[in-house]
Amino acid sequence: MEKKLDEILKQGLEKITNSKTVEELQSIKKELIGKKSSLNEVLKSLGQMDSEARKNIGKKATDIRNIFNEKTLEKENEIIASKSVLDKPLDITLPGKKVMNGSLHPVTQMCYDLNDAFLSLGFEVFSEDDISSEKYAFDNLNFAKDHPARQMMDTYWIKGTEDKESNERLCLRPHLTGASVRYLLKHGAPARFVYPGRVYRNENVDSGHERAFFQYEALIVDKNISFSSGMVMIKTILEKVFGREVKVRMREGFFPFTEPGYEIDMECLVCNGKGCKVCKHNGWIEVMPGGVIHPNVLKAASLDPEVWTGFYINIGLERLVMMRYGVDDIRLFHSADLRFLKQFK
Amino acid sequence: MRVSLNWIKKYVDLPKNLTAKQIAYDLTLRTVEVEDVIDTSLKYHDIVVGQIKEIKNHPNADKLKICMTDIGKGELVQIVCGGSNLYEGEYVVVSLPGSEVVWHGEGEPVKIKETKMRGVASYGMICGATEVYLDNFFPTKEETEIVDLKDIDCYPGQNIAELVYMNDTVFEIDNKSLTNRPDMWGHYGVARELAAIYDVPLKKIEEIKIDPKLPEYKVEIKEKEKCNRYVAIEIENVYEKESPMWMKALITNGGMRPINAIVDITNYVMLAVGQPTHAFDRTHVDGKKIIVRNAKKNEELLLLDNNTIALTEDDLVISDVNCALGLAGIRGGKKDSILPDTTGVLLEIANFTAGTIRKTGKRFDEKTDAAIRYEKNIDTKRVDLGISLTLKLFKELFPESQIVAYKDEYPIETKRIEIDVPQEFLNVRLGKVLERKTVEKVLTNLGYEVKYKDKVYHVIVPVWRSTGDVSIKDDVMGDIARLLSFESFEAKPLTISFEQAVRQNHILLERRLKEYLAYRCGFNEIYTYPWVDEKYIKASSIDTSNSISLACPPAPSLAILRNSLVPGMLKAIADNLRYYDSFRLFEMAQVFTKGNYHESSLDETLPIHTKMLTGCIVGKDPREIFLEIKGIIENMARYCQMEDITLEVKEKPSWADINAYLNILYDDNIIGSLGLVSFGTMVNAKIKRTNVACFELNVDALVPYNSRTNEFKHLPQVPLVEKDLAILVDEDVLWSDISKLLKSKVKELEFIEEYHGNQIPDGKKSITFRVKLGSGDKTMTSEEIIKEIDKILKTLNKMCGAILREE
Repeated sequence: MEKKLDEILKQGLEKITNSKTVEELQSIKKELIGKKSSLNEVLKSLGQMDSEARKNIGKKATDIRNIFNEKTLEKENEIIASKSVLDKPLDITLPGKKVMNGSLHPVTQMCYDLNDAFLSLGFEVFSEDDISSEKYAFDNLNFAKDHPARQMMDTYWIKGTEDKESNERLCLRPHLTGASVRYLLKHGAPARFVYPGRVYRNENVDSGHERAFFQYEALIVDKNISFSSGMVMIKTILEKVFGREVKVRMREGFFPFTEPGYEIDMECLVCNGKGCKVCKHNGWIEVMPGGVIHPNVLKAASLDPEVWTGFYINIGLERLVMMRYGVDDIRLFHSADLRFLKQFK
Repeated sequence: MRVSLNWIKKYVDLPKNLTAKQIAYDLTLRTVEVEDVIDTSLKYHDIVVGQIKEIKNHPNADKLKICMTDIGKGELVQIVCGGSNLYEGEYVVVSLPGSEVVWHGEGEPVKIKETKMRGVASYGMICGATEVYLDNFFPTKEETEIVDLKDIDCYPGQNIAELVYMNDTVFEIDNKSLTNRPDMWGHYGVARELAAIYDVPLKKIEEIKIDPKLPEYKVEIKEKEKCNRYVAIEIENVYEKESPMWMKALITNGGMRPINAIVDITNYVMLAVGQPTHAFDRTHVDGKKIIVRNAKKNEELLLLDNNTIALTEDDLVISDVNCALGLAGIRGGKKDSILPDTTGVLLEIANFTAGTIRKTGKRFDEKTDAAIRYEKNIDTKRVDLGISLTLKLFKELFPESQIVAYKDEYPIETKRIEIDVPQEFLNVRLGKVLERKTVEKVLTNLGYEVKYKDKVYHVIVPVWRSTGDVSIKDDVMGDIARLLSFESFEAKPLTISFEQAVRQNHILLERRLKEYLAYRCGFNEIYTYPWVDEKYIKASSIDTSNSISLACPPAPSLAILRNSLVPGMLKAIADNLRYYDSFRLFEMAQVFTKGNYHESSLDETLPIHTKMLTGCIVGKDPREIFLEIKGIIENMARYCQMEDITLEVKEKPSWADINAYLNILYDDNIIGSLGLVSFGTMVNAKIKRTNVACFELNVDALVPYNSRTNEFKHLPQVPLVEKDLAILVDEDVLWSDISKLLKSKVKELEFIEEYHGNQIPDGKKSITFRVKLGSGDKTMTSEEIIKEIDKILKTLNKMCGAILREE
């Protein structure tokens, strides 16, 4: 009898191992441990055996049933695990399907990155008109009456107003700073805001010069702040843009609307300050002018310079984008060329 | 401006071991931007003095000679030369192999190699002045002439840079960074800054006073506001000759050309102390009298080349008793030249005010070195430095010269500015408490006089900074900050006040619109210029009667400033069609129209600015792209969280197809439109073999939600019944008719497709849609469903003749 049981176990395990589908496995299981199975017959015949044999054979038969249960479950899991949903083979090296490939202009992306950084510092975003009067573009900013930028050759004056003066002489704004005065007139002080926008200069166009380009101005007016506070702000912003620590330096710079004014340089990220073609071999790249707002500008904004002070920085957005991605031709930004734009998805 | 380090060293002993690079760095950080540092000796490497010992004829060329030349190496070298002034014993300039020369003074430098000339070996080259950058030192008459170093103390093998004092360093300074610093337009001013930076003494320029008992030269200043001081000095026993080599070198490195000793002295003085001076041949001044006056009506100035320039009554001229000799502070005329027969000069060392010079100077393209300096506003005291240095140089170069007459007409003296700078002001603005000692030292080194009393620095600004550069206490603070270096100030973080969160709904809306189009709808953002080529304006048939234009446009066809973004979009489409056949673009920007708008105050009148958003889909199938762009506008409000906009046919945009456009409305006002671009517009814009759907929308007219407003709807307790129906209707039945009929009868209605095809009879179309039915609280029985569908079909049949095609 024991031999018979061994035979049942051996054959049963063989059948389980060889089964291919879940359905086949189910019918094998029925055949092995079902009512009509030989194992069941052995169990049925237990009554006719003596107590010693009944105990031994009974235990062995129950063990075999447990083994069959266990093994079929194991095999079923194995079959399910190896089953694919595919009916035909799939070439998984085929390229994946395209996703929507729209993009914001790289200048817009840079602008939004900066907006997010400045918003976290409690700045507002200001936006203003492209056309300004000479009063706001030059007079209020302490530009000398005969400053060259006021001439026909440097600024795009609006036809019919070019021979007039101040309030009546209109131009495509040559910089953003003029409208900052308007913001201050409207909102008063203290103030902290950023002001992205496009500006226009009558220039000869080449890979480094454009007639229309984007600036990003940040301005703070408050009581008792020192000019060195600007440095932290500048560092924060550049680190946000370039994603790593950036070394900056401030050096003497002159702008009619600041006192003192400074040029802000950052260490060249291409050569880490060792000197390369990008930085013209001096290790530093001029990124933006900045400075303490000139008292005359505060006066133009109806603020008392004895009470208020402030500073500002002005970033060229294209220049930052060019440094971030290594773009070497500023003309691409206004080209609307998709071969360029699609790279900034 | 070019600054010579050798020149600087005449005025200040700089710390030892200081490299030129370090000087450039310190100047850049603290004073002015140094753009380049040039070692002037480099271009003379391997160019040496040689002596021709023997001249032999060339076997293959008549014009060439073989010169056996001593170059200080012991053995003679053989050099083939075609010079016209060769002789045995002559000291010449030899370019050895490895040096670089400019052939015949033209083109790029070429490296000299050992070579054969017409079959004869030549070790280097005997050079003419222009070939080895010596034309400033050795004027030549003929092209074939080589430099003859006779009368010059030299020896074979001596490097030429040493011989002509060109072992020097030149700092190239960005002129823009000097605009506010009239004192820096001379080497003495730069030396003063360096002395302050390194805290070393500045040497004084030796003062030379003129004997007051000398006869008086007649000077009359008629325009005292324009000419604040005029010194005339008549000197005799001077003549046209060459300057000494050291002076030629400094003038060259200062960026000018040596002319003759008299002119060179005047230029040297200008480059040294920034004071322009001028020398007239004294015989050319008729009546021995100088008159500084405005030009007369119709007066002209005769130039050296016999041309004349017309003068205006605003122009200030230097005149004798008969006529104008020159334009004050700008340029001379024919009568003021130094000629070979000159034996005496009248020197002018004068102060002209900036405004005068700038106004007249504007009429001339090229600015003279004198005009550039006067334009920055020079103080009247500088004339004294000019006099001292000029007289010293005349004594040195013309020991036999004599001053015979003199006049210092000095109507207006530059006053030194006085400013009170409170200590507390400095502490707060600099963000650092500075010791009194530090402040006083920095300012004194820069030439300020400082008195401290009751916590206030009373400063007297140096006269050379008192003409506008330093006028308020902020300027003084700036001087202290820069000289201590901005880097020495600890950066102080900004404080944040939590008064209120920044909340700018319209700015956020603009960003959502852009991100919706880019990220959800697959558009690429572009920027185009505000000036548009007329070609594209005409193509889009846009009315420009309300447009504004530029007075001085980038090109004649680019004068009109856009009043719509569509023409620029058409150009972008045409350009991109070269590389892509289907794409989507959008642009957001302001457009301009005539009108009166007051941004800040009534006294400033601007044209009307409108922020517009335009987008296009370029693709083959016009029906497809029309519906796509329509879908983008229909969903815009929901996705961008703004008040709803609606679509209706009201008024055709000029660029749109007659049968495929819709206006975009908000609150019953047209704020934009969408449509297919018309055939005519595409032809004129050269957009070929494709179709374009376009929209244009006034962003300023959109109203952002203050917050998200959609309301939560409970999920249905009982599932809705879904049913797809395909019906056959006449071609002219519109979906809007069908949807209007069904809206009240179903829970939800969804259009699936419209179909024209084989099985559909002519003049008919098939429309498939999905309805969702349900009462909400209990499941519908199949009888109820059949009854509902039947009701729907009956209504459709009655109202628009629809027949069920399939269920």
